[in-house]
Amino acid sequence: MIRFKATALILIILLGGLFIYVAEDIPAFGDPNAPSIRAVKLFDLHAGPSENILNQGAIPGALSDALKKGKFPPPSRAEKVPGEERQWNIFIPKNEAHYAREEKYYWVVKEGDQLRIYRHAFVVRWFEKGLKETAVPNMVTHGLADYRGYDTLGETVVIFTAGVSVILLLRRRGKL
Amino acid sequence: MIPFIQLFALYVIFHGSLGPGGGFQGGAVFASSFILYIVVFNIARGKKRVPESVNMALSSAGLYIYAGVGLLSILFSLGAAQYLNYGFIPFTSHFEENRALGIDLIEIGVGMTVMAIMISIFFDLAWDKGKEKEG
Repeated sequence: MIRFKATALILIILLGGLFIYVAEDIPAFGDPNAPSIRAVKLFDLHAGPSENILNQGAIPGALSDALKKGKFPPPSRAEKVPGEERQWNIFIPKNEAHYAREEKYYWVVKEGDQLRIYRHAFVVRWFEKGLKETAVPNMVTHGLADYRGYDTLGETVVIFTAGVSVILLLRRRGKL
Repeated sequence: MIPFIQLFALYVIFHGSLGPGGGFQGGAVFASSFILYIVVFNIARGKKRVPESVNMALSSAGLYIYAGVGLLSILFSLGAAQYLNYGFIPFTSHFEENRALGIDLIEIGVGMTVMAIMISIFFDLAWDKGKEKEG
């Protein structure tokens, strides 16, 4: 009995140590340096004269070269972020390998003489196009039942399976 | 009390696209109304109100509605084979509103399945004193 208790104690200490080890890497809530949800940072680029080119809606050569080198989808045109100075959205062309429509893909911010290239997260597209594409104002519902339709079908199947298995296990009606 | 709960459940299911709610939540509320009925009266009367056969039929019919809407959209997408892309089903002339109506339909299916399965699990787990004595 004492040996069992000692083993349990050692196990608890080990698990506690593991938990502390893992939990230390979780960023604190509201940490300004934590990666954002809106966009994922790709790389930095020396700006040069690219601000004027981007303002005219074209893509600077250095930027498209860098994107090609990183094997990112090719850019097609740029557009200023409304209400913001030195920020641009860059679109990718129609019938790109993974996207059939023209999509807003990159987000470029100029800071000092550096261009910071980000990729928009899926959430941004969800916000902006969900209502237009599905005519359902509730974001949760059109995400659950339309964009993630297969997932919800699977959840329903799981619930059905749970009910059937409870019937098989408990409703024996005198057999066995 | 029970009809009001059921009315609220239907409201939750059908307004899943406008406000908070949806098939899962509405189904749970609907099932809770029947469970309230069983708690107030007894299991025998509850089984008369919601027979096991109807229960099982409802739960599988909900799944069939969901999968069937997906198959309908394969049929109407004419070769593109877009399973569960409700926009192709011609409820109305607008692609987007078709999607909204498709979402409503599958929410009904999900609600039926959740309701029937919750009631059947409650019947199986409920303590039946009469049967306990028999063995």
